[in-house]
Amino acid sequence: MSFFDTHLLNLVVFLPLVFAALVLVLPGSEPGQIRTVTFIAMLVDAVFGVWAYLRYVPGGPEFQLEYRVPWFEMFGTSYHIGVDGLAVSLLLLTVFLGPLVVLASTTYISHRIKEFHLALLVLQTTMLGALVSLDVLLFYVFFEAMLIPMYLMVGVWGAEDRQMAAVKFFLYTLAGSLLMLVAIIAVYFISAPAGSRSFDYAALYNGLLDANRQVTACMGGPQGACDSLSGLARTMHTWGPWLFAAFALAFAIKVPMWPVHTWLPDAHVQAPVAGSMILAGVMLKMGTFGFWRFAIPLFPAAAQNARPFLAVLSVIGIVYGALMCLAQRDIKKLIAYSSVSHLGYCMLGILAVTAEGATGSAYQMLNHGVSTGALFLLFGFLYERRHSRLMADFGGIAKVMPVFTAAFLIITFSSVAVPGTNGFIGEFLVLLGTFKSDLGVAAGNPHLTVVFGAFATLGVILGAAYMLWMVQKVFFGGLTHRENQHLRDMNLREGLTVLPFIILVGVMGLMPQPFLDRLAPSTDRFLARARVGTPGAPVQDDQVRVEVMSLPSSITAAAPSAPVPLAAVPSQRQ
Amino acid sequence: MNLPNLVLADFLPLLPAIIMVAGASILLLSEVFLSATSSRAYQAVLTVVTAVAAGAVAVALMFEPPQEVLLGFGVLDPFSSFLTLVVCVGLGLAALSAVSFLRKRGAERGEFYALMLFASAGMSLLAMSNELITVFVNVEVLSIATYALTAYLRRGTRPSEAGFKYFILGAFSSAVLLYGAALLYGATGTTQLTAMVGPLGAAMQSQPGLVYTGVVLVGAGFAFKVAAVPFHMWTPDVYEGAPTPVTALMSAGVKAAAFASMVRVFITVGKGIDPQMLLALFSTLAFLTMVAGNLLAIPQRNVKRMLAYSSIAHAGYLLVGVAALFVTAPGESFRLLGASALTGGTALDVARAEALRGILYYLLAYTFSAVGAFAMVSALERREDEEKGTAWDLERFSGLAQRRPGWAFAMAAFMLSLGGIPPTIGFMSKLLIFQAAVDAGLIGLTIVGVLSSAAGVYYYLRVVVYMFMRPVPEGAQVLERSWSTELALVLSTAAVVVLGIIPGPVMGWLVQASTIFGQ
Repeated sequence: MSFFDTHLLNLVVFLPLVFAALVLVLPGSEPGQIRTVTFIAMLVDAVFGVWAYLRYVPGGPEFQLEYRVPWFEMFGTSYHIGVDGLAVSLLLLTVFLGPLVVLASTTYISHRIKEFHLALLVLQTTMLGALVSLDVLLFYVFFEAMLIPMYLMVGVWGAEDRQMAAVKFFLYTLAGSLLMLVAIIAVYFISAPAGSRSFDYAALYNGLLDANRQVTACMGGPQGACDSLSGLARTMHTWGPWLFAAFALAFAIKVPMWPVHTWLPDAHVQAPVAGSMILAGVMLKMGTFGFWRFAIPLFPAAAQNARPFLAVLSVIGIVYGALMCLAQRDIKKLIAYSSVSHLGYCMLGILAVTAEGATGSAYQMLNHGVSTGALFLLFGFLYERRHSRLMADFGGIAKVMPVFTAAFLIITFSSVAVPGTNGFIGEFLVLLGTFKSDLGVAAGNPHLTVVFGAFATLGVILGAAYMLWMVQKVFFGGLTHRENQHLRDMNLREGLTVLPFIILVGVMGLMPQPFLDRLAPSTDRFLARARVGTPGAPVQDDQVRVEVMSLPSSITAAAPSAPVPLAAVPSQRQ
Repeated sequence: MNLPNLVLADFLPLLPAIIMVAGASILLLSEVFLSATSSRAYQAVLTVVTAVAAGAVAVALMFEPPQEVLLGFGVLDPFSSFLTLVVCVGLGLAALSAVSFLRKRGAERGEFYALMLFASAGMSLLAMSNELITVFVNVEVLSIATYALTAYLRRGTRPSEAGFKYFILGAFSSAVLLYGAALLYGATGTTQLTAMVGPLGAAMQSQPGLVYTGVVLVGAGFAFKVAAVPFHMWTPDVYEGAPTPVTALMSAGVKAAAFASMVRVFITVGKGIDPQMLLALFSTLAFLTMVAGNLLAIPQRNVKRMLAYSSIAHAGYLLVGVAALFVTAPGESFRLLGASALTGGTALDVARAEALRGILYYLLAYTFSAVGAFAMVSALERREDEEKGTAWDLERFSGLAQRRPGWAFAMAAFMLSLGGIPPTIGFMSKLLIFQAAVDAGLIGLTIVGVLSSAAGVYYYLRVVVYMFMRPVPEGAQVLERSWSTELALVLSTAAVVVLGIIPGPVMGWLVQASTIFGQ
């Protein structure tokens, strides 16, 4: 690999941070300059991100563009980054949103502009870092660090109740992820004997693999077969469910799954347009990504047992989110609850453990980032003009803002999964995967699969209902409010900000194959790893084991300087 | 009694303390020749230079082999040298933040810095003490200096109230410590820690009650000094009443030295008696201290008082590390292998070595974060408001991000570090402690620690909320800048952020510093 390949991901991840340092020294009195520099930073980063996306070879090794150097050797951790198909796709989504978020905030953010753009750039680095981390501790550092800029973004530039929303968001997420930290340390501890421990994803995964297989085998066996387990397998049998629960809780809060979703409506409603876009577009995916990368592969047996339960929560989330949307009068809250519903599909697709379900889920992650990101963006334009979030304050907007209405409709179609848009492919695949899955068998009755599928389908119908109902109330009918008679339509900048989203809706809806190709290797491996937890599933060693580059020397607990020889201790005085 | 021949080389291991005492003496002597109006700018500079010199010598001494000092009353080992370094860091930063604090109050005097240096010398020597009487003497050296510092500003009632409270309770706790030491001496016939191990085991057979009482009393004495619940009552009042730079030195230096001595004493005791008892003792203390410290900090609107309760909570996390030191397998006798545990020890040997490193790293991390935070508090307070009690109100921080973005960033970094949020040194040190605790099997205690630290983030974040999300209040005070406070802020912020991302040489020092004499 060339030098450029080796450092490409470093460049993508840290370019925003470097530009943040530049923004820091720019004078705060020149907002235009700061916006331009930030926009250029995001744009250049997007170019490198697209480059990385294209450099990823779907048929190649699982993790590509890897880079690894020692880092906090004492903890058994290294700075290890690399991408698989899903990570590189989410990375593409993140760098895609970057410049658009800056454009979207041009007039929305009117005070403390320098700090806002600093927060945006730092946030970008932390999100990209979390996506590319192949060391669990490094992932955790980025995963937590991204809370800080987002917290400031909601708390400083948000709406009326911003402080409450920001603190709620921070503490909710932190409580979950701290428990995950304990689980991470526990996994680190049990996965290898003292002296060779490591936080590296590959080391943890491969270290637990045999034990996971034994646990699965005995759980499929006769009653009491698990009593004869020994060593690590026994530990995994006893503690695996708890460790899985800690991981699952942290990621479920981030997704967010019902019933730990309550921070999301507040955070979304209070956040500025950029915050909402990033939160919906990228940060929620950290939850599903976490399930996909960490929670399920590390504890396949526990995940297998928890699948029906989590699937029930997902289906409740889908239907509950949709019902809450129907009850909303606040547009932004409606979009926020629609995220709860849509992320339910992503989770259901993952939990189905079928090729269609996983592919659909991964695709839906990208779709949701595009469509909900765009919905928040468009609503942000409306909010800037009217400073109201209530549907009742609008009506008949289509007459004064035709272009805006057209754009909103296209995005709405994507969100409600009209065929021809990207949303259709994702939701269709998820539903197909759910109907074909063994969720019912796992839940104890094969017929239950249909129930899961049926409720999920109900969510699609409700989804169309609430979105179209909202569109009708806001855009059509008579112009009942005098204030709305002179609303400006979108200007050029706003149009250019929305355009990439609309193009992507069409491209991803009509030509999904290039995107799906890059997701396919990750999907295959995820399925193989999740099926380690299914008794009797075929063993696919080549798909299951994680292969990564190794450090030049052993990274575990190497003493940087020679310890003092104990012989040098003088004898005790009597 | 034969007097031994001491040569100059015997004093070499004491060099950091000697440097500090010499600096203090120069300050005291030079003060005599100054008139009331003379410039005293050199005093802080001299203190900081002394701290840097002593710290540098401590780093150099860290690579000396462990050895007895002065007939075995003390020892020089990498452990004590690292602690001396921590003390010097705290001293240097606190002295920097004291410059404008004293100038604003017209209270610049050589005694102030001299007392700080004497206290620090006592801390450094306490970390080296290997004999119970020496431990007691050094506890007194550092305590008496800090009593005087607490009541240094004689205006108003608060400093004298704090000083008196600190003195009464401090003297009481010293007495408890001394009483415990006397009982241990009665049971074993020696006060020398290294020599105590064997007789302690024998005494456990003949007079277990005596030994247990002694151990519990010594433990209670140290628990007072580190402000562990339920021996924490003095902390909020004293921390609030003392001059802020002194509070900074107390929270960092006194705590570090007391923890070091506690670890040294109980490692010895642990070899003589059942380590399970020490595990139970420290687990209980850790549990109470973490939970109570964090819960009591939540309602505080006074930032200085909040930091006092937060310092209690942090003592709790440190006690988790101390508890992890005493985890033994059934039937296993207690031992601590230091740096060599990593190559040739059992799983629990590794866990105990990690716990020791965790404690040391945590003390360093806490020093940077807390002293930085107190420096920030001292930069914002005004003397006029002290009597009203509003000098440290959260309102002081309102809109700070608009008025002094650099200060707000620094304070945010300290708060996040104290809360244990990555990427700060506070996260890495908490991780090391909890990692050791999990390795030692203290899962329950770890979960309590993690959850209480999540609760703790609430009150740290509130400061950030006020700084970044509240408007500047009308008629807000003019914020005076001072080069020395800003230097302290820059240094501690840099350490908090950089050491959280790049370990640098500190990791090597830590591995080295987990070597304790006689283990």
